[in-house]
Amino acid sequence: MTDKPKVGVYVCHCGINISATVDVETVADYALKLPNVEVARTYSYMCSDPGQVLIKNDIKEHGLNRIIVASCSPRMHEPTFRKAIQEAGLNPYYLEMANIREQCSWVHEDMEEATAKSKKLVASAVAKVRLLEALESKEVDAEPAALIIGAGIAGIQAALDIADAGFKVFLVEKTPSVGGRMAQLDKTFPTLDCSACILTPKMVDCASHPNIELLSYSEVEEIGGYIGNFDVKVRKKARYVDFDKCTGCGDCAAECRVKDRFPSEFDQGMGKRSAIYLPFPQAVPAKYTIDPESCLYLTRGKCGKGPKCQEVCKAEAINFEQEDEIVEFKVGAVIVATGFDPFDASRKPEYGYNDYPNVITGMEMERLVSASGPTGGKVKVFNGEEEIEPKEVAFIKCVGSRDASVGNEYCSRVCCMYVAKQAHLIRDKIPDANIRVYYIDVRAFGKGFEEFYDRVRRENVRYIRGNPSEIFKRGNKLVVKVEDTLTATPLEDEVDLVVLGVGLEPRADMREIMDLLRLSQSPDRFFLEAHPKLRPVDTATEGVFLAGCCQGPKDIPDTVAQAKGAASSAMIPLARGKVMISAQVAEVDEATCRGCGFCVNICPYTAIELVKINRFGHEVEVARVNEALCKGCGSCSAGCLSDSIQPKSFRDRQILPQIAALGVLK
Amino acid sequence: MDLEQLRKTAAEVVVREDVKYLIGWKQGSYGYRVAPVFVEDASGAAELLFSPLCTANLATYLTLVEKTPLPRGQEADKRKVALLVKGCDSRAVTQLIVEHGINRDQVIVVGCPCPGVVDTEKLAEKYPEQGKPAEVEWNGENFVLLCDDKETELPRDQFLAEKCRLCRHPNPVISDITVGEPVEPWTLADDNGVEEIEGKNLEERQAYWEEQFSKCIRCYSCRNVCPLCYCQDCILDRLNPTWVNRAVNFSENTAFNIARAFHLAGRCIECGECERVCPANIPLGKLNRKMAREVRDKYGFEPGVDPEAEPFQASFKPDDPEDFIL
Repeated sequence: MTDKPKVGVYVCHCGINISATVDVETVADYALKLPNVEVARTYSYMCSDPGQVLIKNDIKEHGLNRIIVASCSPRMHEPTFRKAIQEAGLNPYYLEMANIREQCSWVHEDMEEATAKSKKLVASAVAKVRLLEALESKEVDAEPAALIIGAGIAGIQAALDIADAGFKVFLVEKTPSVGGRMAQLDKTFPTLDCSACILTPKMVDCASHPNIELLSYSEVEEIGGYIGNFDVKVRKKARYVDFDKCTGCGDCAAECRVKDRFPSEFDQGMGKRSAIYLPFPQAVPAKYTIDPESCLYLTRGKCGKGPKCQEVCKAEAINFEQEDEIVEFKVGAVIVATGFDPFDASRKPEYGYNDYPNVITGMEMERLVSASGPTGGKVKVFNGEEEIEPKEVAFIKCVGSRDASVGNEYCSRVCCMYVAKQAHLIRDKIPDANIRVYYIDVRAFGKGFEEFYDRVRRENVRYIRGNPSEIFKRGNKLVVKVEDTLTATPLEDEVDLVVLGVGLEPRADMREIMDLLRLSQSPDRFFLEAHPKLRPVDTATEGVFLAGCCQGPKDIPDTVAQAKGAASSAMIPLARGKVMISAQVAEVDEATCRGCGFCVNICPYTAIELVKINRFGHEVEVARVNEALCKGCGSCSAGCLSDSIQPKSFRDRQILPQIAALGVLK
Repeated sequence: MDLEQLRKTAAEVVVREDVKYLIGWKQGSYGYRVAPVFVEDASGAAELLFSPLCTANLATYLTLVEKTPLPRGQEADKRKVALLVKGCDSRAVTQLIVEHGINRDQVIVVGCPCPGVVDTEKLAEKYPEQGKPAEVEWNGENFVLLCDDKETELPRDQFLAEKCRLCRHPNPVISDITVGEPVEPWTLADDNGVEEIEGKNLEERQAYWEEQFSKCIRCYSCRNVCPLCYCQDCILDRLNPTWVNRAVNFSENTAFNIARAFHLAGRCIECGECERVCPANIPLGKLNRKMAREVRDKYGFEPGVDPEAEPFQASFKPDDPEDFIL
């Protein structure tokens, strides 16, 4: 600190947000008496243009060199005021916010006490602002490429947008084909257009796009680095089929010795596939894959006299020697679009999903009604005696959603509409069926949803309010035991087919991604966005964005909208070619650091490493902060026994006087 | 303990070219005193001692040795240091390795399985120290005091040090060379060493520690002797900010002792040195032991047993209990 601090204090009314509870004039008068304070003013909206001009003019006129804005949380307007004082020629880090809104006026009622507290908060800010240091932000180059994890509709859309804008995209998909959950759906609500018809062109586009490198049947193993400069390591799992030679003709699958023996993942286990398979006819890439867990040759070392697939493959693409391949590349931004898992209906044992074949989930229903599904779109059930067309069909909603007993208190947002759609499809295929839907509430909030729900009801689908307690078997029928809560009538409803409107859950394997990218979960266990309203696609890790159901249940339009949002956010560093690195990072005192490495372990951003330095002739280890990775969170500081690592602007010697001014310390 | 074997082994170690010196115990100048000795050549090894009087944890010297600035061009002495350790001392070495206090390849651990040491204060109380050095040896379960050509049997339950009564690792947890046969770990008493404290209510605890901490003269012996208090610039010495004021009074003494206890949470290996050296007889062992029990009961962690462990204070698991967070 070279020059004497000259502090300006600006107390904001925030309309009546603050001034209704805090006597702002008294606070300003009080501030003027505090040491080093030259100017103290109030204004109705300090963040407005005239408010900012007020501050800027004072900086010039009175030579102020430290600014305190007593208003809202720094999360709200710290960037605004930093920019303002920088424009007036001050170092932007010579600003301190006193939060007299969220932490005072909004949480208190008594004006006298709230005013007294505001005074303390301002005094506390004055005590700190004098000790702030000038910091310089740095810029580093950003790699003009993006990594997208997951190639469902969210990943595909984000990839296409970024690639169309001219940036390289690495699209990594765990399964052999892109398409994700949307590819499994039959029709989409509320417009009833065919899911595959609108999705497959996009799938083909992303495989053929010159800017997209599609890494299917691959998994991200490691991500290091930081925004603008992520180092990515991807494992391309062995398909045992030469990707370039395979023509996708299907001769191999037709000849496989264990042909159609294994449950098809794509058909929800209702259809069968061979050990060498294409997940579904429109799969992209249209390349066959050998499942190492079901292939005779790979599990037992022999397959008859020799693997038949190899014999019949004219392209000579089968290669049992193939090994996993590691691909490494660098990207500037990452989009996580890993999707969801359907709720596992066996966790509601009262519905007998594991016991009765004619209790099926919504996802299975999608495959059953699909023309490309295991029955070719015919809805048939086996009732124990014969195969029949189900005439009595019941849907149960909120299975695994809005249900604290399974740990899912949230609404899955799509079940109301997909159940309505499936009821409509049944009506279409079985005109004389009796269809009823058991519901807790009907939430038809989206564009065209209410109209669609109305239409389905008019098609003689009965909506009965009640949450079934049990499903059991009576003769050839399933009995749904339920109370119609609108008429308070207990019912035992005999049906042929029960469809469980299962909800959406976070993926079982999401922890892998969380650990890779240091992401957090919200209470519903989906990935946590940086701000629920204003930063819905961002995460706490800069340069990492969320798209689709991995962030929370969504329908297709919302998923696509979020994917486009994530794509445009991800493109900001790519387009700028540079990223700004915050100056508020941790700093190590190498003279006192004992190199224990606690901070290295603690840092949630892997921003710290131990390096060897020469200390007066002795080689010693000390911690070093990668400023590009550090978020200034201060966790390292809390864990340091010798106080040798501290975040700039939040050093002990800066915040202890701040606390002391509150009257807490002596 | 075969002293000849110990001295022979030590002599073989110190003559090695890659060894700077061996840190061990030798007889002190009077009474029950035992002094540390830095053996640099084979002849020095003849002085070495390992007996129930060797209470001191020599691991503290590994980090206590000052790294004085070297003239330009002069190479630092990178030879290894050999160290005699009991079970508890070896845990200090292990914990130092875990937190990079020393490199594993910089130290040669000479393990001495330990049947337990005597509490020299209790011993001096019953058999006052004399001007000349006395000897104590292990004798089956018990100890025997050799003084004035007399052999006095010292019953184990009367003279065993408190830390040994609670010891779960009498055999060194790491060692490069072991001298003597492993000791059979003894059955631990049912108490966990902190029952007396835990039996008190909050007010009684406050009163107890108020009395104890009021005695503290802030000599920092506990800190200096502790093998795991080795920051070169202790925050308790800092002036800006001043975490602990230099005034010696109950408030500042409490701040000092509690800060030290917290810094040792999940790190203290219960060698008991702090309590042994405290001139004010503050039961620091109880304080640190209580912390260690909390860590062990809540997190199942015991420091200084696995050199590959993650440091406790710097590790986090999503299912860590957090019922103590208000």
